[in-house]
Amino acid sequence: MINYPRFAVVGHPNKGKSSIVSALALDDSVQISDTPGTTHKQRSFPLKVDGKVLYELIDTPGFQRARYILEWLQKHDVSADKKHEVIQLFINEYEDNKRFNDEIELLKPIVDGAGIIYIVDASKPYGEEYEAEMEILRWTGQPSMALINHIEETDYSLEWKRVLGQYFKMVRTFNPMRANIEDHISILESMAQLKEEWIVPVKSSIVLFEAYHTQMLEKSCEVLSRLVYDALSYKEELSLKTEKVEESDKEKIEEKYKAYLRELEIKTQKKIEKIWKHEHLEKMQTLLTFEEIDLFSQEAASVFGLTRKELLITGATSGAIAGAGIDLLFLGHTLLLGGAIGGLVGGVGAYFGFDELSDIKVLGQKVGKRYLQMGPMKNRNFPYILLGRALYHTSTIAKRSHALRSTVELDTHKTFKEKWLYDDLRASLEKYHKIFRAGESIDADILDDYKILLLKALENINNNYSL
Amino acid sequence: MHLKSYLNLYVLLQNDVSTREEQRAFGLEYAKFKKKPVKQLLAWENRYIHNLKKPLLSDDIYSYLYVVTFLLVIIAFILGLLSGITLLSYNGQEPVNVVYFIAMVIFLPLFSIVLAFFSMLRVKNSKSVLLHLTPAYWMEKILNFFPGIDDKNIKNFKINPLLVNWIIIRRSQFIALFFSLGLLLALLGVVITKDIAFAWSTTLHITPETFHSFLNTLALPWREILPTAVPSIELIERSQYFRLGDKLSEEMISNASQLGQWWKFLALATLFYALLLRCVMYGIATLGYKNALKKSFFSLEGVSLILKNMNEPMITTSATVTEHIISSSYKDIQEVRQLKRLYDSVQGWAIPTFKLQVMNDTMNISSQNIFEVGGSNTLSEDRAIAHKSFGEVLLYVKAWEPPTLDIVDYIEELVEVVDKVIVYPIGMEDEMYHTKEKFIKIWIEKISIIDNHKIWIKTP
Repeated sequence: MINYPRFAVVGHPNKGKSSIVSALALDDSVQISDTPGTTHKQRSFPLKVDGKVLYELIDTPGFQRARYILEWLQKHDVSADKKHEVIQLFINEYEDNKRFNDEIELLKPIVDGAGIIYIVDASKPYGEEYEAEMEILRWTGQPSMALINHIEETDYSLEWKRVLGQYFKMVRTFNPMRANIEDHISILESMAQLKEEWIVPVKSSIVLFEAYHTQMLEKSCEVLSRLVYDALSYKEELSLKTEKVEESDKEKIEEKYKAYLRELEIKTQKKIEKIWKHEHLEKMQTLLTFEEIDLFSQEAASVFGLTRKELLITGATSGAIAGAGIDLLFLGHTLLLGGAIGGLVGGVGAYFGFDELSDIKVLGQKVGKRYLQMGPMKNRNFPYILLGRALYHTSTIAKRSHALRSTVELDTHKTFKEKWLYDDLRASLEKYHKIFRAGESIDADILDDYKILLLKALENINNNYSL
Repeated sequence: MHLKSYLNLYVLLQNDVSTREEQRAFGLEYAKFKKKPVKQLLAWENRYIHNLKKPLLSDDIYSYLYVVTFLLVIIAFILGLLSGITLLSYNGQEPVNVVYFIAMVIFLPLFSIVLAFFSMLRVKNSKSVLLHLTPAYWMEKILNFFPGIDDKNIKNFKINPLLVNWIIIRRSQFIALFFSLGLLLALLGVVITKDIAFAWSTTLHITPETFHSFLNTLALPWREILPTAVPSIELIERSQYFRLGDKLSEEMISNASQLGQWWKFLALATLFYALLLRCVMYGIATLGYKNALKKSFFSLEGVSLILKNMNEPMITTSATVTEHIISSSYKDIQEVRQLKRLYDSVQGWAIPTFKLQVMNDTMNISSQNIFEVGGSNTLSEDRAIAHKSFGEVLLYVKAWEPPTLDIVDYIEELVEVVDKVIVYPIGMEDEMYHTKEKFIKIWIEKISIIDNHKIWIKTP
């Protein structure tokens, strides 16, 4: 027994039923095509919360032989309260007849209790061929509403509204290509009004839907904060085999470093697209560039994995311990000078003998290591370039309707930075960038705080900036 | 909560072992842990740990840390033991100066405890000099270079620096504890096996009363419980030793049996300052370590997301089944580019006759038989029109309206009685009947399914 609201999206072929379902169900995998009759089977899109269905949208094929069916129905002279039974009779009789496959597919959920969402394209004029299908839907006796879609720019909605008002309880306009969350919620509210029993479940779906949107925003910002942290703290190392650092070594490390950051950005974008369920997206974007960003590679070395400074401390400590041993042997007659001298000698020796030590081999293994290091990113402007691109991408994806199949362009305009990066936000972000640049692992709290800043920036872009 | 759990969780998160659905299902199953994220994570780890490749990275790293710690503890214990024996070496000629031992078991531990305490305060700074001072830090680095412990997984694994620092601090306290144990064992061993004459000696001008008062202060923690373990003023007076003369004084020889009483004080001092305080430090370090471990759990990449996935309702909107895509294929259809001026019949699909008249005028076409078909006509009306049709039929269709099987049925019926049907997808009146290319393609695709040579299509 189905005890949740169901809505069958029906209509003439190629009037945007699948686009509307795609937009309302946030599913970009729905096949949308200019060719009519792409949908042959009803397809269910339930809104589930922890597996429990709150409502269900059903995409259906378009009417193909509406006049034939209407004539068949009209042959059964029954009172209004029996008309839905005639529809059921038709389904029973023609269920296995391929000739009426599309009609059976679209009528079945309706006779099972689904509300009707009838789609028309008001960019094309009304035609009397629609009357047969609207009449059939009236026969079902199910609560219904008409959604006016605009596939193209021309507008015949006035004449459509006059006709639709005669057949449907409600008439609403919804453009799946431009729909945002507010439009989406507005349609859900209309759907709730179709039947009294549906008000509570659909209204609670709206609340959950809003929570879902917030969840997605938060998850996106979490991914973005990790991107900035990873990008700023990343260090690329290249072991040096020769004494002198070659230009080719510098070029090599720079390329590897840039490639890592670009890859990081691409992976992050994929994560964002997955969060917003735009996994089939085609996009155009120039790669992350490093113009006017100085990337410094510095030569570094270690002995036993210890840097020069660490080796100095190590030398001093071990020297002091050795000296203390001598003090012990002399039962303190040395006035602990052994420890002090040992520490001094050990420290100075380790510092100045660093290069010589690095050439020593222990058990066939060289104890020293010389390498080139690039990163953590010191350029103060880089995080804002990276963030600007990431926020633009996220905002575009978050706002993009799932009905769109066109290629999305993701290159930001130069003025975009001015739209989100206010002075106080920059100052707040900079504090965290300083921590990230240290290249150390950080507490989850820091990333959480940074995430909140990004959330504000993203909300600001979504509310105030038309992408 | 254990270091191994942290390491396993790190690997599990890297390998992304569970789906969003499984994570939420797990969250609901363990709803009692909703406000105990660590327990929830540990339970999740427990569920999926069998997915990890053996040997586990956590086992490798943990056994490595165990080996390194064990080696360092052994070294520290031996050093403590040797230091104790050296400090307490008594050749029967010269008494053992307790000042050295006091320095070793009280002042050195206090000094290192203060250092450790400051290290704890600066623990967030991973480059803290204080941390690098500890042998536990650099000896491990050096040991790393020896064969057998050059596992790439261990070397490449980046553990949270805060946690590393606490591991170092905790391990240093543990090592120091064993060093002190060595000292205590040496003291007890030497006291049992030798008859030692303890004395105190200093170049500084310190009176026995001052020294007594100083020792009395040092013995504060135990002087009430064990008063015999506090040297009396008499003992201090009798055991003051002056280097001049280079041998034991007559008074010291006569009180030789009492000079050994010092050991109780030294043992208690070692127990309290070197061992008990160190144990306290070890306890604090353990608390800090556990706290850091907990923090490190939440700092792992992916933890926050997995907790969200477990504890927030899972909302799905997508289709439950994958769409079956039917690839479209169609045959070519004969095209008419130029219309004739006269047709046997002109028909319009869902186009009223008055509009058909206007279209004909515009196209300069005439016909004696003009009919509206489809639209609001009944099927029998259409059938009648089809049956009285003959010769060449020009059938106007609205280009923008997608063809349905209803029209296909009609054309099939029509071609049975006529010689030729020219389907003309016509554009809107507002667009001067101009037809878009994409609409023509759609119409060709649809009517080609009839597969009849009598059907033609008008193309621009």
